[in-house]
Amino acid sequence: MTIPGVGADAVFGALADPTRRRLLSTIAEHPATATELAGSLPISRQAVVKHLSALSEAGLLERRRAGREVRYRVTPAPLSDAVSWMAQVGAQWDDRLASLAQTLGEPGPREL
Amino acid sequence: MVDQIERELLLPASPEEVWNLVTAPGWLADDVVLELIPGGDAQFVSGEQVKDGWVEEAVAPGTGGGDAGRLAFWWAADGDPATRVELTLEPEGEASTRLRVIEARPLDALDVVGIPLPGSGGASYGPALLAAA
Repeated sequence: MTIPGVGADAVFGALADPTRRRLLSTIAEHPATATELAGSLPISRQAVVKHLSALSEAGLLERRRAGREVRYRVTPAPLSDAVSWMAQVGAQWDDRLASLAQTLGEPGPREL
Repeated sequence: MVDQIERELLLPASPEEVWNLVTAPGWLADDVVLELIPGGDAQFVSGEQVKDGWVEEAVAPGTGGGDAGRLAFWWAADGDPATRVELTLEPEGEASTRLRVIEARPLDALDVVGIPLPGSGGASYGPALLAAA
C-alpha cells in the first residue's frame, strides 16, 4: 500500500462506512472541525469525533490544532501518490492504445 | 477525490473487431483469461506481473447494447488495491469505433458500494476490495 506505516486494510476498513466516506469528501473540499462537521450531518459531535479518529488512524486525515478546536484536513500523501499512480497507469494505457492503433491502422510490414 | 485515468481513441475498425482484440491475449496482458460473464474470473499475466480479478459486466457488440460494447472488470496485482477498468466501444460512422478506457482507484470506486457482488453471498464491492487488498 502507499501510505507509509498504514496497511490497505486500515484504509479500506475506514472507508467501508458511508458516513466516513461522506466526512472524508466533505473535508477534502474544505478542512473542518468536528463541531462544524456535526452541524452539517445528522449525527452527534461525539459520533463525528469517533469517525474522524478512524479516518486519522488509517492515515487519511491530519489533525491541526486551531485555537481550542482541532481542524481536520485530508492527508496530502495519498494525493501525491495519486499523481504517481495516474502517471504510471496512464502510461500503460497510452502504450496499449498505441499498439491497438498500430494493429488496426497501419499496414503490416511490407515486402520489398 | 478523483483518481481516474480516462482515454479515448478512434479506431478504423468495427466494434466487433476491436472487441476481439481488446479481450484477446496480448492486449490487456500477454496472457489473458477473461470469463465474459458478470462475476466471471479474470487473470492477466505479463512476464512476472500477475493480476487477478473478476468481470463486472461484459456486453459484446451486437449482443445486448446494439452495436456498442462494454466491458467492466476489476484487477489487482498481489498486495495492491484493486482498480476498476471500464472499456466502452461505440460505433462511429461506417467502419470506425470509438474506444473509451476508464481505470479508477478504489477510493473513488467505493462510492458504488451497495451493488451486490456475484458469487459472494450478497457482499458489495467494499468487502470485495478488502478481500482483494
